Amino acid sequence: MRTLMALLVWCAATALAAGAPRQAFPYAYDQHDFPNGLRLISIPTDYPNVVSLFVVMQTGSRNEVEPGRSGFAHLFEHMMFRGTPAFPPEKYENALQQAGAASNAYTTDDYTAYHTTFSKEDLETVLRMEADRFQNLSYTPEVFKTETLAVLGEYNKNSANPLEKLYEALRDTAFDRHTYKHSTMGFLKDVQDMPNRYDYSRLFFERYYRPEYATVIVAGDIAPAAVRALVEKYWSGWKRGDYRPEIPAEPAQQGARKVDVAWPSPTLTWLAVAFHGPAYSDQQTDQAALDLISFLGFSESSELYRKLVIQEQKVDMLHASCPNHVDPYLFTAMARLKKTADMDTVREDVLATLAGFRTNPVAAERLDQVKRRLRYGFALGMNNSEAIAGTVAQFVALRRTPETINRLFEMYDRITPAEIQRVARKYFVEENRTIATLSGGKAQ
Amino acid sequence: MKTAWMAMLVTLSCSAAAGAGPKVVELPGKSPLVTIRLVFLTGAAYDPADKPGVAALTAAMLARGGTRSMSYKQIVDALFPMAAQVSEQTDKEMTVFSGTSHIDNLEAYYKIFREMLLDPGWRKEDFERLRDDAVNYLRVTLRGNNDEELGKEALYNQIYAGHPYGHENHGTASALGKTTIADLQAFYRAQFTQGNLIIGLAGGYPEGFPDRVKADFAKLPAGPPAALRLPEPQPARGIRITMIEKDTRSVAYSIGFPIDVKRGDPDYPALLAAQCYFGQHRVSGGRLFERMRQARGLNYGDYAYIEYFPRGMMRFEPDPNLARRRQIFQIWIRPVEPPTAQFALRLALFEFDKLVKDGLSEEAFERTRTYLTKYVNLLTKTADAKLGYAIDSQYYGIGDYNGYLKSSLAKLTREDVNRAIRKHLVTDGMDIVVVAKNCAALKSKLLSGEPSPMTYNSPKPPEVLNEDKIVERWTIDLKPEAVRIAPVETVFE
Repeated sequence: MRTLMALLVWCAATALAAGAPRQAFPYAYDQHDFPNGLRLISIPTDYPNVVSLFVVMQTGSRNEVEPGRSGFAHLFEHMMFRGTPAFPPEKYENALQQAGAASNAYTTDDYTAYHTTFSKEDLETVLRMEADRFQNLSYTPEVFKTETLAVLGEYNKNSANPLEKLYEALRDTAFDRHTYKHSTMGFLKDVQDMPNRYDYSRLFFERYYRPEYATVIVAGDIAPAAVRALVEKYWSGWKRGDYRPEIPAEPAQQGARKVDVAWPSPTLTWLAVAFHGPAYSDQQTDQAALDLISFLGFSESSELYRKLVIQEQKVDMLHASCPNHVDPYLFTAMARLKKTADMDTVREDVLATLAGFRTNPVAAERLDQVKRRLRYGFALGMNNSEAIAGTVAQFVALRRTPETINRLFEMYDRITPAEIQRVARKYFVEENRTIATLSGGKAQ
Repeated sequence: MKTAWMAMLVTLSCSAAAGAGPKVVELPGKSPLVTIRLVFLTGAAYDPADKPGVAALTAAMLARGGTRSMSYKQIVDALFPMAAQVSEQTDKEMTVFSGTSHIDNLEAYYKIFREMLLDPGWRKEDFERLRDDAVNYLRVTLRGNNDEELGKEALYNQIYAGHPYGHENHGTASALGKTTIADLQAFYRAQFTQGNLIIGLAGGYPEGFPDRVKADFAKLPAGPPAALRLPEPQPARGIRITMIEKDTRSVAYSIGFPIDVKRGDPDYPALLAAQCYFGQHRVSGGRLFERMRQARGLNYGDYAYIEYFPRGMMRFEPDPNLARRRQIFQIWIRPVEPPTAQFALRLALFEFDKLVKDGLSEEAFERTRTYLTKYVNLLTKTADAKLGYAIDSQYYGIGDYNGYLKSSLAKLTREDVNRAIRKHLVTDGMDIVVVAKNCAALKSKLLSGEPSPMTYNSPKPPEVLNEDKIVERWTIDLKPEAVRIAPVETVFE
């Protein structure tokens, strides 16, 4: 058993010389490991009466290693609402309603998060119910089959959005072996086959719904000692598992790739320029530098935005990101074009912007602006207990501690123009690139 | 480390009561984040009759255009290191400009915010960019990318045809093509007045800041414009359907009719409880959700509303400052597989009929009341939302929303709810919008009245199968002339 009490000082109102909040994650928190591998992070906040609970399972579509099983982590998110012997769905719903709770879940490539926000007097009830369903989930094949249809319904509602299709094609093209090749929703053929996979769903639960994959985050109007006692009471009986998936490593890409998606109805044309990037790290600067590049090159204050969106008005949406992932993922720059005929010039502008980071060091003052932007943006996002817990959940999925947030932001501060250039030269190379486009049918 | 900074007190500084300048709603606290919300009591309902979309485009020009002294690019560059922006939201009767700044940057941020609203630049290049954005929102974002929001907005257009609410807030693509900068300037001068303005401030702003903001916005023209007369919408006689034809995988439904109940009215808490029981937004405990998704796996979710709630597919709680004098009761059926489309509509109408006939049981009433009494806390979990709700409460003439709802719910009885259901919810007049591929075939099926038996991929309990026997033959009293098929290209055009 290991306990870490990290007492940090609230200093968001204090400014650094650079003029940005000093400690990116300013809250004191209690981090505690139970013998079964479960980790608890309790974060008292100053927002009264309300408590937000996030249970982060470090399993997502990345864990879907068998062919034909894409989308199972997400399906399992649905199954977790299908009850236990002690709390069948109606009773579970009833208890949530008695607590006035807002409860939901989401699945990503790397993790699945279950979140409930409620009044503080219901803390024990909610912790007890959640502990029960993570340990004693029970559903029949009939219920399983019905829920697979709700997942198909979710696929259907998402399918109206061309961006979903574009990302699906981009990942499928850019990745050969790693499970990031498929989206969290999964391939349609696998979603349609889900009703036949009841046994696999039980196997998925046995493998991954184990305490060593789980972190419980409780933020809000709480006392950490009381939270720890309740988690000990209800969650310590959860049995540790021993399954470790073998996620296939993605080999280095050997040449530029391209995919064009035809959308059946009218829409504006999309361009995505992607490069394989690094995994998340709070020690190695590559991902942090790519984060900064996404703002330097493609945010609303970038030169490219001025040219394409404000001045020439060829593009109405422009952005880039290198989202945090457990394994190496993609840096992607995206543009939505008002006219398909501008595709060649816009693509060349995007590529030239990326190439510019290889050849020209960025101005130190501009880099400092982006660093300040990141810190203030992060501070502005944590404006209630649910948002605080939700933010921590994203990082806990990567490193199981909020401390990684501070390490990441300290790393941003250390990145120099030379480091930006080094990282651009490493990743923005043609053989590492995939370009995906999507254009609509009929006239625009 | 408990501090008092979130124990915010609502201060309503209603200097307008003395007839001088805008109202100010203050939520002082010690948070390092300061939120400004400026709400003008105007919006799309005030658009010129031949220029729908002027209100929204005017607001966009203020929030996403330059000022006289700064280009839009200069504004963006100045706000960028602060991670701040000025957001706008235009609805029928409210137009909101809002933003949050860290206290470190408040002076610089507010200086720009103020200039954007009081001294807009009206540049041609901003106008062309933002008009393109508005047209693309209608043609691409709504029509092309989101069948559900498309159906919801088309439903409002259908219910309010010929009414000041009768167009999507962004207008129509053809009207936007004719709109000029002069139209926007005229709207700005007439509508953005002191008497139309409620200023909202929250967070750890410095002493005297509210007075400064109030004095600055006293530079707007005095006095409100003439109040807009809002006629009663003409409810559908029988069932009226618009089918939007587009190439899509599944079938989305929006169903609704006008109600004469808004926040502050005697029946509001009762009808809110009815809506909550029947289909609380994104909650799996609602009756519709339970019968359609949980029991039968028909789709991803099914909900009901008594207040306008846009962007529901992205949001769990509604945005504040969408207050309206007229509301509708709405049922949202998320996309279903085409073979089940007829059955799904029948089931939704069957359940709605049951709600109207049977009302809530005592157990359901108590459960719903308990839920709402606590859930209301979550609606105002951020200072920004709390501020927005406080402004809405001014508009509706009620006190603090949480207090208003909790005290109303404490007095509410099951009979109040069931009486309100019988009084306000109707089964013989409603509008339906369908977004689907091959609408002609669906139209034929609906008009035929033929049974639509369900087949499932797994055994179902007898109570579901027995209920299906009723639902599959549920009568939808539909006349051929009440069904219209509209190619998607014509919607919002």
